[in-house]
Amino acid sequence: MTEEKKDEEIEKKLEECEKKKQEFFLGWQREKADFINYKKKEGERIIELAEAIKKDMLLKILPTLDSFNLAEKNIPTKEKDDKNLKGLLLIKKQLEEFLKNQGVEEIPCDKKFDPRLHEAIGEIVDKDKEKEGMIAEELEKGYRFNGIVIRPAKVKVYKLKND
Amino acid sequence: MAKVLGIDLGTAITKYASIINGEPKALENREGSILTPSIIALTKNGERVVGVLAQRQAITNPKNTIYSVKRFIGRRFSDPEVQKELKLLSYETRERKDGGIEIKMGDKWYTPIEISAMILQKIKADAEEKLGEKLSNVVITCPANFDDSQRKATKAAGEIAGFNVLRVINEPTAAALAYGFGRKDAKKVLVYDFGGGTFDVTILDVSPDTVEVLATGGEAHLGGNDFDQRIIDWILDQFKKEQGIDLSKDPLALQRLKEAAEKAKTELSSALETNINLPFITSDAEGPKHLDYKLTRAQLEEMTKDLVDKSIERVEKTIKEIKMKKEEIDEIILVGGTTLIPMVRNRVKEFFGKEPNKSINPEEVVAIGAAIEAEILTAKEEGRTPEGEIKSVLLLDVLPLSLGIETYGGVNTIMIPKNTTIPTSQSQVFSTAADNQTSVEINVLQGERPMAQDNRSLGKFILDGIPPAPRGVPQVEVKFDIDANGILTVIASDKATGKSQSIKVEGSIGLSKEEIERMKKEAEVHAAEDEKKRQLIENRNMAESLIYSSEKTLKDMGDKISPDLKKEIEDKISDLKKAKEGDNLEEIKNKTEALSQSLQKIGSQMYGQKKDGDTPEAETEESKE
Repeated sequence: MTEEKKDEEIEKKLEECEKKKQEFFLGWQREKADFINYKKKEGERIIELAEAIKKDMLLKILPTLDSFNLAEKNIPTKEKDDKNLKGLLLIKKQLEEFLKNQGVEEIPCDKKFDPRLHEAIGEIVDKDKEKEGMIAEELEKGYRFNGIVIRPAKVKVYKLKND
Repeated sequence: MAKVLGIDLGTAITKYASIINGEPKALENREGSILTPSIIALTKNGERVVGVLAQRQAITNPKNTIYSVKRFIGRRFSDPEVQKELKLLSYETRERKDGGIEIKMGDKWYTPIEISAMILQKIKADAEEKLGEKLSNVVITCPANFDDSQRKATKAAGEIAGFNVLRVINEPTAAALAYGFGRKDAKKVLVYDFGGGTFDVTILDVSPDTVEVLATGGEAHLGGNDFDQRIIDWILDQFKKEQGIDLSKDPLALQRLKEAAEKAKTELSSALETNINLPFITSDAEGPKHLDYKLTRAQLEEMTKDLVDKSIERVEKTIKEIKMKKEEIDEIILVGGTTLIPMVRNRVKEFFGKEPNKSINPEEVVAIGAAIEAEILTAKEEGRTPEGEIKSVLLLDVLPLSLGIETYGGVNTIMIPKNTTIPTSQSQVFSTAADNQTSVEINVLQGERPMAQDNRSLGKFILDGIPPAPRGVPQVEVKFDIDANGILTVIASDKATGKSQSIKVEGSIGLSKEEIERMKKEAEVHAAEDEKKRQLIENRNMAESLIYSSEKTLKDMGDKISPDLKKEIEDKISDLKKAKEGDNLEEIKNKTEALSQSLQKIGSQMYGQKKDGDTPEAETEESKE
């Protein structure tokens, strides 16, 4: 009787142990998988982070290019052939090339206003109905980085004159 | 396990957060920003746009661009405050049959609830795209002074957007939750919320079961935008004085000024002065005009001091209203982007005489608190432990002090740095320091000090039977392994023979708190002198290995180099040997460099000899052909 009872107890204990073992094994497996998944996600996050840092830096360089553009716009016609000015404009070109090589591209401003690409900061009144909603003037260039708008172009938009 | 969202639905800007890998985190929208303008528009093409896209087209479409709708949610048209606000709007509104407000967008009339729902719909779509799964459970926040009708309306907006709104909680309560206040004991918490356009102060009584709002106060039109405007006005004024031109009439110039002012404000939060440089800002008959001003933090503080004073006065008033004393406030929380300005932080600290809580980004703290609340409620619903608290259940310990071994020159080489989560193991391969060394002693150390003797030795053992070989050749792998109970096993094995020795140290992390603190403090106190000692030893070791290799080179190739150079090197070796015995770091470095340069001459002399000998041979071969 006592022997049987002992056996029963051992069996019960074994069963408990088996159960616990299974529980721990599954927990360990899950933890291991979680860690692998975490590493994968962390890898993706690092890539995202690197892109974000790059984007941030590119955004900070853009005002320098804006200033170059404004400077170019302001050159009087008679001075356009000045060799020194031409040299300076070549520096601007270098900067543009650099940005292009980093995956930065200009946003075109020749068509209809689109808030996905442009930011309206003024309007120009015109009688021509055809022109309504079209871009009248580009005030500051907009850019995409790897296909995503990082800075919209600042534009003036045609507004229909109501007589 | 469903993902949740916490939404800080703001008057001007909306932010949202979720729990990712157990950590609350603010999420970016599709445009890549954590800030979504609470603006919605029906474009001229009949397309509905939300957020920054609506903002970009606002000027061309003022009648169909709806903003500040939070000011009207759940309120009556006839409310005098509402009437005052309505006068400032560019879009059309009217009274509904039930006394509420209706807003016209396109040809249709919408309630503020429907407009808010459209904003929340974009958030739902963007967050689902970001997290890669459908979202349902949310907690939305509202100002502490929202009444029942405004709260119900906020909840309804969430439901229309397709969310299951678990709760609408106060913004300051969410901030307190983000910091985990009240989980253990009751606390009086003051939330100082200085946003872009409004200032709010709330005093809370936070306890494990309840969060009670004791008082609220605020300024409806005081915020970070005022700081920007002060900078813009200052620039406009300077420019007018110097150039006689009013830039405020030029939309592009004004836009550039706005951006520059915001940038200057941000930069002055970390730097003491900044440059506002806007070339070609405008032009007149004389040609282009440039703008280049220096703005110091002191100047900015001078021009905005009254704005901060106003907020502090409001705090004082609110505390007085409930007959409290500022000393009774246990915790102060900073909320809103404007609290990133050093002067604002300093004034709050000065006023209360204690450091405010600012470790969580003040722009995200409300959304983060809402996400935590959403996770707690969802976990309860699903009968599980909230994500992020799992760690405390598992009780994974961390190593309180670094573990290492003593290496050549009495240096403590760290194997497992402090704060590493255990169980863990680490291994590294070491070698011998002398020729024909057949045994190595492994001295296991605990502590942060760079010199072995300054740390606690946990035990030593000797690995012998290493086959005789020149120094640096044998490979001895040392492995540290700590199990979940803090039992450390150190095994050293010789890779060539496979022979190994080990030691087991129990209670290696079981130091008393006082002991750990004492050791950490000692490490801090001696950091500078320890660093000097470490450098000295490192340079001595380098010198020694250079002496060793120089002597070996002389022995192997002594007959191939000129007697002069041989003498020069021998002299320098003896100089370095002398310097190495002393404590003068610079001298050791100089003599090492001198010897190293002389050694390089061996190479060039031998190369030169070879080249000299090569040339005639080549010529001979050529002539043969």
